[in-house]
Amino acid sequence: MGLGAGVVLVALGCFLAASGGGHETHEVAHAAGAEHAEGVAHHAYKWTNRLWANVWLNAIYFTGASVIGMFFMSYNYLAQAGWSVAFKRVPEALPAYLPIMGIVVLAVFFLAGHDLFHWTNPALYDTASPEYDPIIAGKHGFLNTPFYVIRVALYFVLWYVLWRMIRSYSLQEDLSGGTDYYYKSLRVGVIFLVVFAVTSSTSAWDFVMSIDTHWFSTMFGWYTLASWHVTGLAIITLTVLALKERGYLQIVTESHLHDLGKFMFAFSIFWTYVWFAQFMLIYYANLPEETIHYREIFSGFGGIYKAPFFINLTLNFVFPFLVLMTTAAKRTGIILKVAAWGIVIGHYFDFYVNIMPGTVGSHGGFGPMEFGMILIFASGFVWSVYSQLEKANLVPKHHPMLEESLHHDIN
Amino acid sequence: MSDVHSNSKFLVGIYDDDDVVLQAVKDVRKAGVKIHEVYSPFPIHGLDVALGHPRTKLGIAAFLFGLTGTLTAISLTFYTEGYDWPMIVGGKDSYSPIIYIPIFFELTVLFSALGMVATFLLSNGLGPTVKPLMYDLRTTDNKFAMTIDMSKNDIGEGDIESILKRSGAAEVNIKQF
Amino acid sequence: MSHVTSAVRTPLVTGGKTYADVTEDISRQVEGKPTREWTIAFTIAVVVLIYGAACVFWTWWEGLGVWGLNKTVGWAWDITNFVWWVGIGHAGTLISAILLLFRQKWRTAVNRAAEAMTIFAVICAASFILMHMGRPWLALWALPLPNTFGSLWVNFKSPLVWDVFAISTYFTVSLVFWYMGLLPDLATIRDRARSKVSRYIYGAFSLGWNGSAKTWARYEYISLILAGLSTPLVLSVHTIVSFDFATSVIPGWHTTIFPPYFVAGAIFSGFAMVQNLVLIIRVVFKLEDYITVEHIESMNKVITLTGSIVGVAYLTEFFIAWYSGVEFESYAFINRATGPYWWAYAAMMTCNVISPQLFWSRAIRRSVVWTFTLSVIVNIGMWFERFVIIVTSLHRDYLPSSWAMFHPTLFDISDYIFSFGLFFTLFLLFSKFLPVVNMAEVKTVIKSSSEKLPASVSGVAKGERVTSPTFNKNID
Repeated sequence: MGLGAGVVLVALGCFLAASGGGHETHEVAHAAGAEHAEGVAHHAYKWTNRLWANVWLNAIYFTGASVIGMFFMSYNYLAQAGWSVAFKRVPEALPAYLPIMGIVVLAVFFLAGHDLFHWTNPALYDTASPEYDPIIAGKHGFLNTPFYVIRVALYFVLWYVLWRMIRSYSLQEDLSGGTDYYYKSLRVGVIFLVVFAVTSSTSAWDFVMSIDTHWFSTMFGWYTLASWHVTGLAIITLTVLALKERGYLQIVTESHLHDLGKFMFAFSIFWTYVWFAQFMLIYYANLPEETIHYREIFSGFGGIYKAPFFINLTLNFVFPFLVLMTTAAKRTGIILKVAAWGIVIGHYFDFYVNIMPGTVGSHGGFGPMEFGMILIFASGFVWSVYSQLEKANLVPKHHPMLEESLHHDIN
Repeated sequence: MSDVHSNSKFLVGIYDDDDVVLQAVKDVRKAGVKIHEVYSPFPIHGLDVALGHPRTKLGIAAFLFGLTGTLTAISLTFYTEGYDWPMIVGGKDSYSPIIYIPIFFELTVLFSALGMVATFLLSNGLGPTVKPLMYDLRTTDNKFAMTIDMSKNDIGEGDIESILKRSGAAEVNIKQF
Repeated sequence: MSHVTSAVRTPLVTGGKTYADVTEDISRQVEGKPTREWTIAFTIAVVVLIYGAACVFWTWWEGLGVWGLNKTVGWAWDITNFVWWVGIGHAGTLISAILLLFRQKWRTAVNRAAEAMTIFAVICAASFILMHMGRPWLALWALPLPNTFGSLWVNFKSPLVWDVFAISTYFTVSLVFWYMGLLPDLATIRDRARSKVSRYIYGAFSLGWNGSAKTWARYEYISLILAGLSTPLVLSVHTIVSFDFATSVIPGWHTTIFPPYFVAGAIFSGFAMVQNLVLIIRVVFKLEDYITVEHIESMNKVITLTGSIVGVAYLTEFFIAWYSGVEFESYAFINRATGPYWWAYAAMMTCNVISPQLFWSRAIRRSVVWTFTLSVIVNIGMWFERFVIIVTSLHRDYLPSSWAMFHPTLFDISDYIFSFGLFFTLFLLFSKFLPVVNMAEVKTVIKSSSEKLPASVSGVAKGERVTSPTFNKNID
């Protein structure tokens, strides 16, 4: 059902991306006249950099959106949450996109790692070279290609394998019932949480923080997790609403939607808290090696990232905070949808401002290429989620907490 | 408790179970009896809806008090550091709102919480000198009481008593204030 | 109300209790004469308090020179104790607010005691703020009052002033939240009271509560809103405490992970303290049917979770100190682990990161003795964490000529002991004169989760809504 729409979207996305590429060459020609990249890529900028940066940005964004499905299920098992069982198959469908994202991430790293990651330049570690950088050389034990590739591969393998396990238990539970699979899933969920406690932080360093190779922030791992998490929640909400509108998942009531709304509201505030804590401490202490990150976003590169910076804050904090504040809003499908779309778009910009300044600098922008790339990844994601949803009964009919979820009533 | 007139006469149906009293409220109302109030030792989910009580508007009070708190914090920091005695500390502007966000937040929460609780106490007539109207002392222990104001009902006492009994009341007493 | 409860849930209240049993079991210790154990414990607490108060008085009379502080280490036990107590004071609001929002029903048995603990812990924390001011009669200078000598205001850009606002707001809101929770129970005790005096006192404090449906509906509503307000509040308090350190440019203090990491640590130590108190209460007041092994296990899970979060934060800090390439930062962390205070660091790592991992074993998690011991260990570890953060970062200054060590004096120790005297005196008074378990809330969960009915495997839940009056007879 979503498949047809997906194919159309992919076609549209490809067309836009291709025409976006055409535009790009023009822009480069323009920019060549007034070249003043502030400490960006040491080697020449190619228009493909922007293309790769876009692939990378979307790959990281949708990796997060996928893995949060597993994260959501795991902590719901751990917390013995009953209410979420009614729509459990939705978060369960998200991580199916992980292998594709894993391949894309590794492919981009091999094909264009040199354009995106400053630290892949071997001259930085050569004391004889004029480009020798003692600070980056100090990080060589962590930031080197073999170790990096092993880590990235490990993230995707671990996340995917654990998801396959919990998914197969869930499907077997549908067939045979009993509480065995519940306890088995709980155990896998706990293992995932332990794995994710470490890998969510390290993957954030690898995927995003290492782009600004000099820059560092201890908060960054949890900050990225907060961003991924609320994105995932918004996607779960949107999918549940879409299914409900098409006549599926009628067991999902206003009470479930209310709780999803509360989750989006609360974790938008949590994201803001983490964002603010990191920003505040860097702003207050005013150390140049830390403030550079925000300087680049806020006033670097001719100020082109200033708008995304404010879009990020507005869509991810102000908007959900105001829209989802009242009880009535959290129980109304259309308002939830608007808020969830705001969050989904807003967190794209969160990754945008963290990835783009360090990869394309003054050549960044938001044009057809960005838009097209989002469409390609998003339609792939939608296709992946819907094909997973089609594979199984939408209601986990033998889940021991299903009855509780059906009687979930809050007001 | 202004709705209780002196020498009003009440029928008090005593129930043993929260689910029974919830169903009884629906039955008794269907039978045409106007219920004065239900008293219980703990909150019963959905009881206020069954009784037809309007939804509380305390959330609006909380919001408005919170807003007052935010505005107080903004004015306080602006008056002291932006207007009355500007000072540059740590290289920040004398009035730098980013840094005052913790103050804004704390005063918002403080005002909102205290204001809402005060509104709650006032609107429910609660206070240290208030003598509670207890229809049955066991309603703070393990019994549930449904009270019927006789002056507001046209149905006869005997009929109401049998309606209450039929709805599951363990006993029906008369209470006069 | 739907009483549908899944078969995989374990009962929250055991022993087939009825509503009347709840009232009786919990009101008993409020109405009866103090037990021997209580009297002995109270006497010890008061003696400790008097000794501690004398030492605090001397600290003020003689001046802060009686502490072991020096020019390099200007903050040591005072702020360590402050942060430790504030941290402990986080669990109460967490249990009552966040777990209320997440509808974790097991909180009902422990939230009263945990909130009381929060309030007393915050009082203890505040006492160290007053102590380290040296001249506590000038404490009002921390408030935004116009100075008599001209319009010099408090510095709103200072995290210490944010602390004044955060801690006092937290204390006030927690107190209100706790008191609102007490209202229905105070009314229960009022209506059971036999003596005129207690009827009068509990009557005044119960504010004329009569449990009408209208009041309950509003009461539940404001409880939710208070929970919604308290949740960010509880996060903000330790965040702002962490800002006291993290806004400075001291290596080991200035790190962006501090706010959430302090919050996780606070919840961690707070839950450990709740465990200690609750384990004593359940034995002394014979409340094993209300505070069951399930409750203890749930709290141990939270301890393991937050302990692991703290562990991840330690490793993150250590990693980024190396990754950043900032030599001061790297040195600060190497000095912590291998410098003269290595033993404090080792104690912190062992107690906080390794010991809670024992709770992965179900047997240990459900053992009362293990739980009690590990909770004490966690609290020791969390004290050392603050000591490590504060003293090891300060004692190696940027200038090697001012490097120094900190040695606690008798007054450092005695002033810390004072806070224990204060805490336990207040807590024992609370446990004698107020119901230690929230009766009204326990009554709301009793039907859905008290007795174990045979559950069918097909997932059909037990205890479907029962509307016939005969149901109650089945309970007895």
